[in-house]
Amino acid sequence: MLEKYAILPCNGLDKCAGVISGEIAKKLCEGKKNEIICPVFYRVAETKYNKMAGEHPVLVIDGCQTRCASKLAAEKNIKISRKVTITEEAKAHNVKINNNLRLLENENALIEIILTALNKTEDKLTIIHAEPSGIYDFEYDTYQHGKFIFRVPRNPEIYYNENDCWAYIIGNHARVGVTDYVQQNLSDILYFTPPDIGGIIDQFGDVGEIESSKSVFELISPVSGKVISINETLVQKPELINENPYELGWMVEIELTDIEGDKELLIGFDKYFEIMKKKVEDLNG
Amino acid sequence: MSETTFMGVERNKIDWKPTIDYIKCDFCMECTNFCPHKVFEVRESEEIKLIVKNPDNCVVFCRACSKICGPDALSFPDKNATTQKIKEIRKEESNA
Ligand code: SF4
Ligand code: SF4
Repeated sequence: MLEKYAILPCNGLDKCAGVISGEIAKKLCEGKKNEIICPVFYRVAETKYNKMAGEHPVLVIDGCQTRCASKLAAEKNIKISRKVTITEEAKAHNVKINNNLRLLENENALIEIILTALNKTEDKLTIIHAEPSGIYDFEYDTYQHGKFIFRVPRNPEIYYNENDCWAYIIGNHARVGVTDYVQQNLSDILYFTPPDIGGIIDQFGDVGEIESSKSVFELISPVSGKVISINETLVQKPELINENPYELGWMVEIELTDIEGDKELLIGFDKYFEIMKKKVEDLNG
Repeated sequence: MSETTFMGVERNKIDWKPTIDYIKCDFCMECTNFCPHKVFEVRESEEIKLIVKNPDNCVVFCRACSKICGPDALSFPDKNATTQKIKEIRKEESNA
């Protein structure tokens, strides 16, 4: 972390993961220029913190999947630059955290792991190559329900799964993203967590997550293969997924390994359009 | 159950649903408030206040409710095994 960060931690005083978040925030401020945004104080007096969040990148530390800190950021309209979730990190590193509120050996070990990762990977995204363009001028069909308009591109090279994700096949690569249905349901997307470059993905495996104040959505890959790039722009501008989910909002590029096999379980425009309409009607009456 | 299908396979032939770990669950009800598909059922007066009532309503491959469960009490079947199973059923049915 070379830059100065404004750190918004979870304040869960009654949960171990919350206590860990607080501890990490404090450690990140020791002898450094980083500053803490106190979530409790933020609720009653926002001017100072709004200024801080406007001037510096914001690191959100959520304790658990309730994501109180992320939700507070959403409520206050703060842009999140980086994000850590303690329970997820514990799982990823196989560390069991206890149920009481003291930091013992395991908790301290986890804190060290997270701090090292935060300090080291200044920006793991700088190594990622991504083609800048994502404008294809697809032809769209639209379906309107109430004030919502759902667009779906009609293109023979775009395949869908029934989980509302699309893959645009370009030679032996595919770009993958979510449909209008997903972005409308999530509403304002605040954060994109990309998958690891080089990772091998099974068909229907997860290739990244997007998150709004309402929910987290796992991108369910329509195709199998290897992740070769991600749309770096989305890390800073996740709102592109709302604005333009099929073009500028593409999320991941995959080198295909078995597209013919994958196609068995994919659908084209006509079928997806019907399924999506039905979903919209079922959900909204 | 309704005769819905997923990838051309009858939904009730696909085993995909959340399983609640009652040791971890604190009955906060976030999952059932969140999911629009009536998968869960709240039973206020019982000791176990939440059950998976309609597993086949769960959207195959969705795990969204587990993402909002603070205590991480929800788990799902293996995705790859489920995909293979769907392919097998499709093959059997197309040969039948
Ligand atoms: S969200 Fe998790 S803890 Fe809350 S009721 Fe559902 S399963 Fe239980
Ligand atoms: S996985 Fe999705 S569809 Fe299934 S119960 Fe959870 S939120 Fe509902």
